[in-house]
Amino acid sequence: MAAKVDNAGTYDNARLADYTYDNSIERGSVDVPFAMLTLLLLVVGVIMVLSASFARAYYDPSNTTGGNATYYFVRQALFALCGVGVMFVCSRFPMSFYRHISGIVMMVALALLVLVLVPGIGEKANNARRWINLGFTTFQPSEIAKVGVIMFFAVLICKYKDKMSTPRYGIVPFAAVIGIVCLLLVMEPHMSAIIIILAIALVMLFLGGLPLYWFIGGGTLGAALLGIGYALFPYVRARFTAWLNPFADASDAGYQIVQSLYSIGSGGLLGLGLGNSRQKYLYLPEEHNDFIFSVVCEELGFIGAMLILALFALLIIRGYWLSMHVRDRYSALVGAGITTHLAMQVILNVAVCTNSIPCTGISLPLFSYGGTALLLQMAELGIILSLSRDIPEKR
Amino acid sequence: MFNKRRETAQPDSQNSMLLRRTLFLMIVCGIVAFILLGARLFKLQILDHDMYESAAVEQQLRQTAVPAKRGTIYDRNMNILAMSASVSNIYISPAEIVMYDEDPAMIASGLSSILGIDYYEILEKTTHTESWYSTVARKVEDDVADKVRAFKEENDLLGVKIEEASKRYYPYGSLACHVVGFVGSDDHGLSGLEYYYDDLLSGVDGRIVRATNAYGTDMMFTDFEDYYDAEDGKSVVLTIDETVQYYLENHLQTAAEQYDLQDGAAGIVMDVKTGGVLAMASLDGFDLNDYLTISEAAQERVDKADVHSEEERNTLIEAERQEQWRNKALSDTYEPGSVFKIITLAAGLESGALKMNSTFYCGGSIDVLGRTDPLNCSNIYGHGNQTLEEAAMNSCNVAFVTIGQWIGAERFYDFIHAFGLFEKTGLDLTGESDSLWWTEDVFFNKGNLSQLAAASFGQTFTITPMQLITAVSAVTNGGYLLEPYLVKEVINADGTVASQREPKVIRQVISEQTSKQCCQILESVVGKPNGTGVNAYVPGYRVAGKTGTSEDVVYEAIHGEKKYICSFLGFAPADDPQVAVLVLLENPGPDSIVVASGAQMAAPTVGAVLRDVLPYLGVEPEYGEGEEALVDQRVPRLVGKTPEEAQELLEEAGFTLKETVGSGAAVTAQMPAPNAKVAAGSEVVLYCGEQPSTEPIAVPDLLGLSYEVARVRAGMYGLYVRGEGTMMESDYILTVDQSEEEGTMVAPGTVITVTLSDWTKTGIF
Repeated sequence: MAAKVDNAGTYDNARLADYTYDNSIERGSVDVPFAMLTLLLLVVGVIMVLSASFARAYYDPSNTTGGNATYYFVRQALFALCGVGVMFVCSRFPMSFYRHISGIVMMVALALLVLVLVPGIGEKANNARRWINLGFTTFQPSEIAKVGVIMFFAVLICKYKDKMSTPRYGIVPFAAVIGIVCLLLVMEPHMSAIIIILAIALVMLFLGGLPLYWFIGGGTLGAALLGIGYALFPYVRARFTAWLNPFADASDAGYQIVQSLYSIGSGGLLGLGLGNSRQKYLYLPEEHNDFIFSVVCEELGFIGAMLILALFALLIIRGYWLSMHVRDRYSALVGAGITTHLAMQVILNVAVCTNSIPCTGISLPLFSYGGTALLLQMAELGIILSLSRDIPEKR
Repeated sequence: MFNKRRETAQPDSQNSMLLRRTLFLMIVCGIVAFILLGARLFKLQILDHDMYESAAVEQQLRQTAVPAKRGTIYDRNMNILAMSASVSNIYISPAEIVMYDEDPAMIASGLSSILGIDYYEILEKTTHTESWYSTVARKVEDDVADKVRAFKEENDLLGVKIEEASKRYYPYGSLACHVVGFVGSDDHGLSGLEYYYDDLLSGVDGRIVRATNAYGTDMMFTDFEDYYDAEDGKSVVLTIDETVQYYLENHLQTAAEQYDLQDGAAGIVMDVKTGGVLAMASLDGFDLNDYLTISEAAQERVDKADVHSEEERNTLIEAERQEQWRNKALSDTYEPGSVFKIITLAAGLESGALKMNSTFYCGGSIDVLGRTDPLNCSNIYGHGNQTLEEAAMNSCNVAFVTIGQWIGAERFYDFIHAFGLFEKTGLDLTGESDSLWWTEDVFFNKGNLSQLAAASFGQTFTITPMQLITAVSAVTNGGYLLEPYLVKEVINADGTVASQREPKVIRQVISEQTSKQCCQILESVVGKPNGTGVNAYVPGYRVAGKTGTSEDVVYEAIHGEKKYICSFLGFAPADDPQVAVLVLLENPGPDSIVVASGAQMAAPTVGAVLRDVLPYLGVEPEYGEGEEALVDQRVPRLVGKTPEEAQELLEEAGFTLKETVGSGAAVTAQMPAPNAKVAAGSEVVLYCGEQPSTEPIAVPDLLGLSYEVARVRAGMYGLYVRGEGTMMESDYILTVDQSEEEGTMVAPGTVITVTLSDWTKTGIF
């Protein structure tokens, strides 16, 4: 056993010991609160997909469902069941396994990001190639890239541990990876994925110990880039205009936002009741997808929406809590990274629905319709459950 | 094992930094962000809830109008002048055609064959698959809609829809078009009574309010639906009589042709006892069912006009439309001219300034204070000494200027006011114009009586025909100024009477005695051979009236040529007036058969209207001595009778036997034909076994003859005459027109209509 620890030490000098495969047999049970919160949100999410989607599925303006009102629900429910299985399986693998495959995941993600750009493999929709069609389902390589970045950065950070404060190790390799990923995403193009991935990367560097002044500098640079983008690209400007005053062009540029605000605002304190949203009758676009939270607000009211947000907050806090209590550095980084990813998606999605930030397509984890995205989310949460098993005394 | 690890896992700066930074993220992403989002939700869902909810509800609710049925417009005898019939709009829902997988080609060919619309046009509409509503045909009749319904049901088509609508029909076409008016495509009145009584006729549309999805169809599981019943429109019954209206329009049309009227004509028939308008017409009329189409003459003017663009052309067409839609009898103002002497006469008698035995001397002109030149009379050699009756019969300006001066400006002005000539009459129809008068300070000027003088015979002010006939009705009916009206009854949708109009007396202007005196004098104008109004005479009826010929001075100043408005106001019977007729003939042209004057043109027209209207209204004729002989009679049916019987019947009917051809025991044919209306005293030919000749005969010249001579002359050729115009015994009444021109070849026994007129009466003033 000591020899194996030494082996591990060849690439990690952390005082925190690393686990090896055979450690896994001695691991504890999964974190019950985290698992319960996840399952609860998943069940509520699937129910909300049924409620939000049946009008569109029934009227079927895009000719996909054949008028079957439960079309989206049945699919989402099946994926949710698979997702529970995926989460369970992922929770069984030891964290050392994930560390080993981190590089491979990153490479696969990069390969897929290249593949999706190839016409015939990548499916084009709305002037963007973001999807790969597997025949029975479609998925976005950018989703895998997010996980890849979290896992791979965690490995690099563990590797450069003490040198993280130097640009040579703390910036350059990370910038190189993230640069390639962003470049590929720009070619799709996929703006919201870039935002999430950049946010994840920054958080990973932040956790990895990059000195704070880099973030101050980076923040300034980011603001400047945003300003340049605002000045150069009309569509960015249009997004901002629609954000600041959606009612000025309520039938076109501001349509989604206005309809979302109508939904949320109509909900009031107690909501119209589960299943009673009126906005979902084809007024609200993407109502079972990016704007599902607006339907939640309309049907369940302020109280219901706050309850669901509270569940998400608890899940996120528990995720960080678990990351803080795991003694393996890689696990701590991956756990915090995945939790941040989850938090980013929830916060940004709700912020878009409530018009707190300019509109961009970000789905709500465990709620938004989308099979492969749900499977990946469940896999990520499974990884957190896996690391939770390494925490001896959970409170 | 865990213990061992814990020993090795000494927290160092790196680890504590990781912990601190994770904790920081936990606080930011797990707590702070959610508090901010919660605050945002609080703002949207609690603070701004009402605003968003009402905006959302507004877009989610659809109102479907349930159109109220528009009421019917009836004439006084319940003949339908305007009615609404239910029709259907046919539309398709391309989105549903796709949704239910229906065959667009089959739908297009089916609808195309039923509706007669191009197949490809319909097919093209089915391609707009995002649309839920695409109109194929509007306002189709019920039988066509039924075919579409059958087609829809037979093939179980959900993408083909039928929607109820209504369409306005005017069974009489152009009859009383300016009175009835028309509705626009929204089924609301645009002109005439359709406009004036629109609120009453249209009722209140009902509506269905329901929640719908963004495409305007249903909202599943949401049973929100409110229904507000439609309240059907009320119907109105007019004072207009379809038959009287027909007579008036018909005779105006005849006048327009005979006198070559350039600017059309206007006429009103009024019940003087109630103020109810029996008929009101303007030429040219238009078909209410097709109100946008202008007359052929107007189209010709547009085609000839020098226009450079479609826009200019459309402006011209629009102007022509406005012109044909104008109700001249109500909207045009004019100088009434000598007809107004009726008012001067009444004012003079009522004020006491004028006596029935007053006399006047006319030397051809009269000096008026304030005028440099004397005012001329129509007869510049002067009418000489005249009684009041003669002055009226002569339409003597000198006498009426004198009457005006006797009355005095202030009193005259008061009478004008009392006769309602300063205000609108209050007729229940839009478009009534205001009269225009000199102001008091001009009229009352003691040093200048020229305004008073001119007003005494109807000049230097303008009023509407409706104002004039309303005022004159007051003169004739015992002195009561009535508010004229068109709608006498309003009927609810269920057939019960909602309201009935009673005649409304505004005030009594003159006494009954004065009224009787005026009628007596005005009867002489028509009834005595020397009267200027003799051409309005109707045998058997006591017709009274006054001629008038006015010059449009404004038109003359602009166009440099004279434009006359020839008018006549007649009423009957003079001893108990029931009906008054005013006719205005505008701008007679060069092809007129008589001289432009009220006496020559308007008086015969009014006479013709009265000749039809009085018997229709049930006024019994009372023939004076020899008068009956002036009335055309119907030839009795003699076939089958013995020649002796036939002769007896003929003589009974006022005819004589010319000859009996053949020797049969019974009449086998007769000339003229049975029931033909010909001049009394005409000579009838009987055929007993023989066939009448069919050799065509050339029509002789029958112009410039008295009626009797014309009859005899026609008889010599084997033809017959019947008379129109002034049927009166007078040396001055001669034929001025014949229906078949000289030289026309006609069958033997043909009845030629000749028009008689007193050609000596000009009555310009």
